[in-house]
Amino acid sequence: MKVLKDRTALWSFVGLLLAFAATSFYAPSASAHGEKSQAAFMRMRTIHWFDLHWSKEKVAVNENVEISGKFHVFEGWPESVREPNVAFLNIGIPGPVFIRKESYIGGQLVPRSVRLEIGKTYEFRVVLKARRPGDWHVHTMMNVEGGGPIIGPGKWITIEGGHFADFKNPVTSLTGQTFDLETYQESNIAFWHVFWAVFGVAWILYWVRRPVFLPRYLLAEAGRADELVSATDRKVGIAFAAGTILIVVLSMGAANSKYPITIPLQAGTMRGMVPIEEKKSTVAVKVEDATYRVPGRAMRMKLTITNNGTSAVRLGEFYTASVRFLDSSVFKDTTGYPEDLLAEDGLTLSDNSPLAPGETRTVEVTASDAAWEVYRLSDIIYDPDSRFAGLLFFFDANGNRIISQVDAPLIPSFI
Amino acid sequence: MSALQSAASSRAEAIQVSRIVDYLGLFILFMVLTGSYHIHAMLTMGDWDFWVDWKDRRLWVTVVPIVLITFPAAVQVLLWERLRLPWGATVCVLGLLFGEWINRYFNFWGWTYFPITLCFPSQIVPGAILLDVVLLLSGSYLLTAIVGGMAWGLIFYPGNWPVIAPYHVPVEYNGTLMSVADILGYNYVRTGTPEYIRMVEKGTLRTFGKDVAPVSAFFSAFMSILIYFLWHFVGRWFSTVRFLKAT
Repeated sequence: MKVLKDRTALWSFVGLLLAFAATSFYAPSASAHGEKSQAAFMRMRTIHWFDLHWSKEKVAVNENVEISGKFHVFEGWPESVREPNVAFLNIGIPGPVFIRKESYIGGQLVPRSVRLEIGKTYEFRVVLKARRPGDWHVHTMMNVEGGGPIIGPGKWITIEGGHFADFKNPVTSLTGQTFDLETYQESNIAFWHVFWAVFGVAWILYWVRRPVFLPRYLLAEAGRADELVSATDRKVGIAFAAGTILIVVLSMGAANSKYPITIPLQAGTMRGMVPIEEKKSTVAVKVEDATYRVPGRAMRMKLTITNNGTSAVRLGEFYTASVRFLDSSVFKDTTGYPEDLLAEDGLTLSDNSPLAPGETRTVEVTASDAAWEVYRLSDIIYDPDSRFAGLLFFFDANGNRIISQVDAPLIPSFI
Repeated sequence: MSALQSAASSRAEAIQVSRIVDYLGLFILFMVLTGSYHIHAMLTMGDWDFWVDWKDRRLWVTVVPIVLITFPAAVQVLLWERLRLPWGATVCVLGLLFGEWINRYFNFWGWTYFPITLCFPSQIVPGAILLDVVLLLSGSYLLTAIVGGMAWGLIFYPGNWPVIAPYHVPVEYNGTLMSVADILGYNYVRTGTPEYIRMVEKGTLRTFGKDVAPVSAFFSAFMSILIYFLWHFVGRWFSTVRFLKAT
């Protein structure tokens, strides 16, 4: 017996030490949102976020930061993801480190789910209010029912200055009261939960002040269970039941008097989101073929481009799955786009001289950057629907932008 | 001399041992119920109880009493049948609330910083008291199921109303009508819980106008009666004393 006890003590101690060591010396905090593990074809062919702008990179507690831009609901929406008939403009943050004060699609506040149309482009804006100090990775995000979260680019935003305890979230009701939602009704919640807990404990204590298990079990087994409940017990039971009903009725009446105007929770999908009025693209692009060279981490596309516009254009950017490949001789980013998602010289063309109006040219376009690997876009060759997709941004000499999209099969090259 | 006789050498010592068994047994019973009932509750009612913006007049009222009458029904059988104790339902819900408050305070608030005002648990003690008292007075599982189960379902919404009512106060929020609970759910971002999975105010109880909560409560009470029956058999199954008798 002693040996058994000693061994139990020993291994318990070893287990405790291991648990301590495993959690004390290396316990990193999760800082991202699994965006890289989402299937590449899903990121490439669902929602394309562009023209993004983060109003600030550093804010103090209680200050606002705004994320705005556009998203395009891609025409080549994959069959395996349910269409965005019910979607919710969300924000990817590690818990409520910010609160979402406002979110808009096409100028309409969208606190609830919305219906989006495939092929349309929408403007969006999300206003966040800083709550908890720290460095936080903030993603744009669209949840699609039946499709899951479709995460957009993420940028680090620092909340510094002020304390979490100073955070305030005031709201004024239609009945004229202003209150802080951060601590709303906490004392009322505590009062009622403590009250009913005490009430319940009192009911149990009434019974357990007498022997509980062994004597009662023996009497019950002996067929004398009825002796265990007295007339007084029944009267006390009636008193507890009557007290319960009385308290509930009175407290409900008091609540109705205090809050005479109440409404049900608001729910239901919002429809009629207004998309951006888009002109038809004046640049036609046909993908002749596309290959992804695995060792070189580069995607090569052979494109036949026709300029149907009135001014000469050059290809300045290829965008796919939040990664932007730029030809810096044509276009430079000045928005502070996340560096890990920006390949400033990642786009090369066999001929990127201006494409004159009416001219058609076949060019080889190469988009190369470590982002293919880092963001696991190269994993598209292992996806069940190995097509790539993205947006091409052409620019004329005046900086006017023409957007075209590509959507084609992708053939991997392993040598 | 049997093993039982050898455990205590005097009446005073026997009483002392009996009380120690009581305290240990109560502690174990409470903690086992806290763990098991809490897991059951999280898996069945889950978000309806986690978030104030899920506590609506239809589904919250309907779902929570139905899924929570399970353990009280089973534990009532154990304690009443074997010990003639009528606090099976109350000890269950106190255990559940104890576990829920640990979870909400340390996990929801302490770990992920969701304010308590968003994620406090539902109140279920009033229904449990009534369920226990009906069993005490009737001594019948049939009456406890019908009268107690009905009371359990019906008292749920009014029992919670003093806490919930302030969350249904209307607010004009950037041109949209929202309740305080809606704003809380909107403000405090739940990245993994998009709005569309919030199952509230769904259903076709339109003919009752704004008074759908009583209808939902009656339906919930009716279902609670049936679930009480089913789980009372689970209680019988678990409260066997076959092994004690064998000893």
